[in-house]
Amino acid sequence: MMQSQRKHHAERRFPTLKLTGVVLLLLAVVVASFWHLSLGAKSIDWTTIWQALVAYDPTNSDHAIIRESRQARLIVSLVVGAALALAGVIMQAISTNPLADPGLLGINSGAAFFVVASTLFLPMIAPQYLPIFAFLGAAIAALIVILLSGWEQNAERLVLAGVAVTAMFSAMTAILLLIDQQGLDKLRHWLTGAIGASDLDKLHWVYPYLLGAMVFSFLLVRSLNAFHLGSRVAEGLGVNVLLLKITGLTLVIMLSGAVVAVAGPIGFVGLVVPHIARLLVRNNYIWLFLYALLLGALLLIVSDIAARMVLRPYEINTGIITAFVGAPVFIALVLRKMK
Amino acid sequence: MNKSRFSSRFLRIKPFPGTCFHVRYSDMFWCVFFSALLLCMLLWGAATGSYQFSFVKSWHIIFSPESQPDRLVRVIWEFRLPRLFAGALCGAALAIAGVILQSITRNALASPGLIGVEAGASVTMLIFVVIIPGTISVQWLPVSAMLGGFIVAACIWSLASYSGYSPIRLILVGVGITSMLSACSEMLITYGDIELVESALMWLGGSLHQVAWLQVEVMLMWLVVAGGLAWVCFRPLNLLVLGDKVAFSRGVNNRKIVPLLLLLSVALTSSSVATAGTLTFVGLIAPHIARRFCADRHGALIPLSALIGGCLVVLGDTLGRTVFAPLQLPAGLVLVLVGAPYFIILMSRLRHS
Repeated sequence: MMQSQRKHHAERRFPTLKLTGVVLLLLAVVVASFWHLSLGAKSIDWTTIWQALVAYDPTNSDHAIIRESRQARLIVSLVVGAALALAGVIMQAISTNPLADPGLLGINSGAAFFVVASTLFLPMIAPQYLPIFAFLGAAIAALIVILLSGWEQNAERLVLAGVAVTAMFSAMTAILLLIDQQGLDKLRHWLTGAIGASDLDKLHWVYPYLLGAMVFSFLLVRSLNAFHLGSRVAEGLGVNVLLLKITGLTLVIMLSGAVVAVAGPIGFVGLVVPHIARLLVRNNYIWLFLYALLLGALLLIVSDIAARMVLRPYEINTGIITAFVGAPVFIALVLRKMK
Repeated sequence: MNKSRFSSRFLRIKPFPGTCFHVRYSDMFWCVFFSALLLCMLLWGAATGSYQFSFVKSWHIIFSPESQPDRLVRVIWEFRLPRLFAGALCGAALAIAGVILQSITRNALASPGLIGVEAGASVTMLIFVVIIPGTISVQWLPVSAMLGGFIVAACIWSLASYSGYSPIRLILVGVGITSMLSACSEMLITYGDIELVESALMWLGGSLHQVAWLQVEVMLMWLVVAGGLAWVCFRPLNLLVLGDKVAFSRGVNNRKIVPLLLLLSVALTSSSVATAGTLTFVGLIAPHIARRFCADRHGALIPLSALIGGCLVVLGDTLGRTVFAPLQLPAGLVLVLVGAPYFIILMSRLRHS
């Protein structure tokens, strides 16, 4: 008995390799962050950035640039990327569908429509409540997609339902913007997924939801690991599958709704990152979550850097860059996995 | 003998020696019914607007214009009728394209927008309107949009059939390419000059306000040629719905017929996109409404859904013109608003049964 237990322990040895991976990714995120901070209308060298971060001197103009404007943008992209990637992992897990993504399934566009409608029709409502509307829109879009496709594991039907829902909500958004043309001018940047320095204020509105959802999703790890073996096995192991799916969906709605309220609909991060993470760590959800958080942050920082570098002095919206990166990955996945 | 022919509820039509079509009386009834409905919609559309007529008056103006005041005749014949006809024709073309795609992919949620024609046309159009305005004249814009649509559809087809064609690949590759292209057009919308962007957005929303008789004639030609060819293919379509293997065993070579049908639906979609912008939601719902009346028999389904598609677009356009009166909403957007709830209910009910 003792021997077998000891053997069991030996099999579950300390996960050195995976931890090294996490550390390396963390390092990559830090390097990318420094790169992100150094770029801009005025390029600033890395020692100055370090000084600005650890020993802030308000009289130094370089320090002021870093701390006042660029740092905010960096934080927003870190949080947005991590949240979207986590939403993608959960979504692909609960729908057992490798092609699920909050953007493709219309959840982002539902949230975007509700945010646009509330800013146009209810201007007296304080902006802190925008995330609530985003959650509402995300939830309604998710419900419609489920209604159209069912819980069944049919990738194609789910994606098509998402396309139909996206078309519906983006048409309604377009109608609103045609009726109110000043609104179009104001909102057209936000609608393609823009990250800007001013978004840090918006991030303050959604902090509690985002942090709560991230922490809570780690509580689901064991059930998700069981569910990965199939819903029957999971039920046999004592997992309430329906409850798991509902909780997972709520988490996805909170994560992606919060992101839409902050930065507009940014697609494909939730699709691409889980697949990269799975290439690295297979299917243990605790590691998948960790890797996805880091990789999502990394991907969004790099996309944001690209968004500012490609067409200097103009900026492309980050959502457009992620679509250009993500759509080819999606097609490659389809060609490899679907017969 | 006479009695038995009636009780079988078929009409046997023998257009050529050796061929025999069975036409059900119910199909004939629904075709007549929806033609009448389309006619009523057209009359209603001609009668309403900022200059209101009675139904009878518009009837008189359309069918005996000589006896009516010149001014009224011009309002109807030069402004309203081309727009209405173009709407009806585009709706019919998109509905047929939708039937073809839903049958080929055997998926009720497929729409003509999937094969990328819409997205390709939008991007080409935006490039010519927003980035390099004035390089080509206005009447060539639809042609360039059409070319763009064709190129994108060809890309999607070659990618999807690169390592073995299958319906699911076609759908998903279409979704991928379409979302990439829509990112392109979003980029153009975001960075373009706001005035140019607004006029492009009007067009993209599926608006019929700049249509003249010439476009109606071109559209009619496309519809008759491509739609007629699609109607001739109703037997292969009937068999393809049953699955590739069944179709193959019944003598339908899906390697040959599927690209042909896709080409037809691309031609139908792109011609209507060139005339009226993006209206593709019609292609999604019109076939479903038609299926309520004649199920999956494509011989009846194609003409019926064409009629229903025409009705829908005329309805959407007239509502868009009149509901927010001085402001004109694009027909495509109105249709999505009206059709989406119906579509959702319909699909969820279909899934449960």
